[in-house]
Amino acid sequence: MTTSLGKIVDKVSAGERLSFDDGITLFLEPDLLAVGSLANEVCEHKHGDRVYFNRNMRIELTNVCVASCLFCSFAKLEAHAPGAHTMSLEEAWHELETRMDDPPSEIHIVNGLHPGLPFSYYEELLSGFKRIKPDIVMKCFTAVEIHFFAEHYRLSHEEVLLRLQKAGLDSLPGGGAEIFHPEVRTRISHDKATADQYLEVHRTAHRLGMRTNTTMLYGHIETFSHRVDHMLRVRALQDETNGFQAFIPLAFHPDGNGMKNLPAPTAVDDLRTLAVSRLMLDNVPHIKAYWVSMTPKIAQVGLRFGANDIDGTIVHETIYHAAGSSSPQGLRYEELVRLIREAGRVPVERDTHYNVVREWMPSAMPEAACKVRDRNADRHLRVLS
Amino acid sequence: MMLRVAAVKYLNARPLYETLDREAFSLELALPGEVARRLAEDECDVALIPVAAAASLGDVVFLEGCAIGASGAVGSVLIVANEPLETVREIALDLSSRTSAVLARLVVSHRLGRQPKWVGLPASEAIDFVGEGRAALIIGDPALVARDKYSHVIDLAAAWTEWTGLPFVFAAWAARDGVVDERAHELIARAANEGLERRSSIAEAWAAEHGLPVAPYAAYLRENVRYAFGPREQQGLQRFFDEASQAKLLPPTKVVIAGGKATRIEPLDSILARAEQGGRLSVGDGLRLFREASLFDLALASDAVRRRKHPQPVVTYIVDRNVNYTNVCTTSCRFCAFYRPVGHAEGYVLTRDQLRPKLQEVVSAGGVQILLQGGLNPDLRIGWYEDLFAWIKAEFGLGLHALSPEEILHIAKMEGLSVTDVLVRLQRAGLDSVPGGGAEILVDRVRRKIAKAKCTSDEWLFVMRKAHQLGLRSSCTMMYGTVDSERDRMLHLVKLRDLQDETGGFTAFFCWDFQHEQGTTIEPGDGGTTLYLRQQAIARLMLDNVDHVGASWVTQGPDVGQVALRFGADDFGSVMFEENVVSSAGTTFRMDARAMEERIHRAGFRAVRRNVRYEWLGEPS
Repeated sequence: MTTSLGKIVDKVSAGERLSFDDGITLFLEPDLLAVGSLANEVCEHKHGDRVYFNRNMRIELTNVCVASCLFCSFAKLEAHAPGAHTMSLEEAWHELETRMDDPPSEIHIVNGLHPGLPFSYYEELLSGFKRIKPDIVMKCFTAVEIHFFAEHYRLSHEEVLLRLQKAGLDSLPGGGAEIFHPEVRTRISHDKATADQYLEVHRTAHRLGMRTNTTMLYGHIETFSHRVDHMLRVRALQDETNGFQAFIPLAFHPDGNGMKNLPAPTAVDDLRTLAVSRLMLDNVPHIKAYWVSMTPKIAQVGLRFGANDIDGTIVHETIYHAAGSSSPQGLRYEELVRLIREAGRVPVERDTHYNVVREWMPSAMPEAACKVRDRNADRHLRVLS
Repeated sequence: MMLRVAAVKYLNARPLYETLDREAFSLELALPGEVARRLAEDECDVALIPVAAAASLGDVVFLEGCAIGASGAVGSVLIVANEPLETVREIALDLSSRTSAVLARLVVSHRLGRQPKWVGLPASEAIDFVGEGRAALIIGDPALVARDKYSHVIDLAAAWTEWTGLPFVFAAWAARDGVVDERAHELIARAANEGLERRSSIAEAWAAEHGLPVAPYAAYLRENVRYAFGPREQQGLQRFFDEASQAKLLPPTKVVIAGGKATRIEPLDSILARAEQGGRLSVGDGLRLFREASLFDLALASDAVRRRKHPQPVVTYIVDRNVNYTNVCTTSCRFCAFYRPVGHAEGYVLTRDQLRPKLQEVVSAGGVQILLQGGLNPDLRIGWYEDLFAWIKAEFGLGLHALSPEEILHIAKMEGLSVTDVLVRLQRAGLDSVPGGGAEILVDRVRRKIAKAKCTSDEWLFVMRKAHQLGLRSSCTMMYGTVDSERDRMLHLVKLRDLQDETGGFTAFFCWDFQHEQGTTIEPGDGGTTLYLRQQAIARLMLDNVDHVGASWVTQGPDVGQVALRFGADDFGSVMFEENVVSSAGTTFRMDARAMEERIHRAGFRAVRRNVRYEWLGEPS
C-alpha cells in the first residue's frame, strides 16, 4: 500500500469525499487487494451482507440505428441491412405473455435509434405491457434514445418523458453514458447525445419523479482520468437530484465492432473499476456487478470488491453477446441466489426501485436447508446510504 | 451408542486396551499412522494416536489419566547404527509413526547442531538401510527385537529426558471435543488400571506368539513404558509440541485435556499472522480460516506468502501439450466423462502416426514438455510405455511429465513388479516427472464414494514418495466439491505437507472444483469462484513447504486464473494446445502465449516461461 493510498484510507474512514486525484491514485495503486478491501468495507458499511438482484427481462426490439458508435457490435445502420431486425409490438408483448407463469417484475428495453418508427410505437409498447401485467415495472429507453426521440419527433426531453410516463414508463436504464469526456466521446460515439444531453435527460427524469441508473463503458481508448472524470460528473448530478439508484461499470467487449483490435479489459481491471466506483460515488446507493459484461464468475468476486447488486435474470441478452460475451444469455433465479450465496452474501430479491421483494437466508449450501423469508410486508424499506 | 475405538497394535499399547469393555466400545488395531488416519477421517471416535498426529489435526482433545510414554530409556524407539552419530550422513525414518520421526529430528539436531539427510523408508527397509554412514530409526516391536544387533544405539526417550528433564509421551488417547463423555472416559481409565495389573500375562502371551523369552518384554512393560498421563507428562508433551513447532515440524499446539477448563481460543489474526510468516497450520487452524476469515484476509495473507517465497513480481507458465494416449480405462470413476470401458467402440490408443504431428507442433512452437496421461488400459504393457518414452525422447527431446500414480500402480499390478521397479524402468526410458493428478481428495471415505476402483490415499502417497526418492519431481493437486467436507480438504493438504516434509519432491500445487460434465453421475457440491479463491489461498497458507502454487485457469477460466494470482498463485499453469484447432500450431500458440502474458502483465507481474522443474527459461518480460 502506497502512502497516497494511506491518505485515501484515512479520508474514507472519516467519511470525507474523494477528489479527482484520489480517483487516479486508486486506479494506479499496485495493490489491487488494498483498493478492493477498502471498497468492500464501504460497501458493507452501506449494505451489510445484502446483495440485490431482480427478476428482469431484457428485450431489444430493434437493432436498426442511426448512430455509428465504434464500440457497438449490435446495431445495423439501415433498416434493410442484412441482419437488421425490428420486432412488431405483438412480438414484443408475446415475450412477456409466454412468461406469465413465472413473470419478471421488470422489463428492461434498450433499442437502436430507429428513424422509421412513429412515436406511438413506443407509447403503445409501454401501455401494452401494462395491460398484460399492470404491476410490471417498465425500465425502458436510455437517455440517448430519449434524446433521439426529442430530436426526431421535435419534442422537448420533458415532453417525451411525460408522454412515455403517461404510457407506463417507470424508470430509465443507464445505458448510453459511455465515457462523458469529449476527448473520448467524440471519437467513439460522435453522432448521438452528448454528455450534457445525456445528463440533462436524467436530470429531467429525476425531476419528473423517476429513479434511474447510470453506466460507464470502460476498457477501450479512454484513460483513467477519463474514467474518474466520468464518475465525478455522475456524482455532481447526483448531488443535485439524488435520482440515480445504481452505477453500473460496463466492460468494453471488442468482437465485431469498430474497435475490434483493442484487447478487452481483463478481470483485474473489472474488479478495480467496481472498487473505485464504490469509493468515488459516495452518494450513489448501489454499485452493480453486471454479470453479462463481466461473466457470472467475476461478478461473484465483484460482490467483494464494492458491488452490492448483480442485476437479474435477464432472460435473453443480445447486445453484449453480439460483441463476443462468453456469459450465458440469462440466468435462472436459483442460479442467481446460489451465485450470491456462494460469495457469502445474503441474496435479496428487489424490484426496480430497490424495494425488497424477498430476502433469502444467509446460510450457504445446501440450498434445500435455506428457508425463505417473505418480506413483502416490508416493501417500503429503502436501503440507502 | 457404541464408541468406535482405534489403538496402536504394538505390545506397549496392549495394557491400555486389552480389558476395554467391548459392550461399550468396538475396537480396531492398526499401525500408528493408520490409527491417526482413522481418527482424522472420522472412522473412529476415540483413538490412541501418536501425539504428532494430534498436533497436525489441532482440533482434538486428550483424555487425562493414561498414555504411552517414558521417562528415560524406552527401548522401543531407537536410532541404530554401527558407528557414532557424528559420522552418520543419512538416517532412514520408519514412516509408520510421525511422532518418533519428529522426535528423532529434534534429538539429532540438538545433539549434532545440524541435520543429516533423512530418508523415508518403511520399517522393514529401514533396518536394511543401516551401513557405512547410514543409520535408521526403528520403532515398536521391530525395535525390541533388533536392539542388540547394533554397536551404536540411541534411545530417543532417554535422549529426550536427558535433554529436557521431562518425560516423553508417544501416544495418548485423543478424540474430537465432546465425543467422549465422563462414563466412557471412566471405562477407558478402568481398562488401563486393569490392563496394567495384567502386564506380566500380556508379556507372556506376546512372547509366546513370537517364540521369544518373556523376561525382557515383561520388564519393558513394567519398567520402560510409562503409562501415566498427568501434569508432568503433559508438561513433557507441551515441551515437545513447542520444540517441534519452533523447528516448523508441527503446528503450534496447546495440550488440551478433555473436560478441562476452556483454553483461550487463538485469535484469527494471530493464525493469519503466523501463516504469513511461514508458520505451520493445523487442520483445525485451516478450518478456522475457512469458516471465519474474510476473502480479503485470505487474499492478503496468501499474497504475502507468495511475496515472501517469490520476492520478484514474476509469474511463470509453461508451454506444453496435454496428450491423452488412451481413453480405455477399467476404473469407471463417477466424476469422469472421458473414459471408455475395454472393448467400447469409442475406445482408442494413439498411434505413433497420430502422436507425431502433435509432438512436432509442440516442438515447433518452442514447447518443452508434454503432459502424458491416459486411462488404465489393460492392453498396454510396460514395454509399450518404455518404447513410447524412448521414442519421444529420441525423436523430439521433449520433457516427459507423465503417468499419474494411478497409472503407475496399474502398471505395477499388471506386470507383477514393485512400484519402484516400474518407476526405475520408466525413468530409464525417459520419464522426468509425475503429474499430481488423481489425488482428488486423499481421504478414503471420499475416494470410495467418487472413485471406488481407484487407489487409496496411502497408495497414491506411496507412489509419490517412491518417485521422489528416485529423484523424480511431481506436482500435487486437489479436486474438491464432490462429497468432501471442508475438513477433508484440510486433511488432504496436511497429507501432502507431511509427505513433502519427508521428500521435498513436490514442485507445485494446483486445485480446482469438480467440473460437472454430462455423463458423470455425481452432483456437484460446494462450488463457485469465491470458494475457489478461498480454497487456493488456504492451500497456499497450509502448504508452507511447497514452493509453487498454480492458478488453474483451465478449469476456472482465464479471468479467474488472473485474479487467482492475487490469491497466492505464482504460476499460471500451461499454455495448452487445443486438440481440435486446425489452424497452424504456430499461430494458435502465439495467440495463447500472448494472451497469457497479457493477463499476467495486467495483473501487475512480469511473465516468464518455465520447465517442469519450475526453472526459468529466459528473463521475465
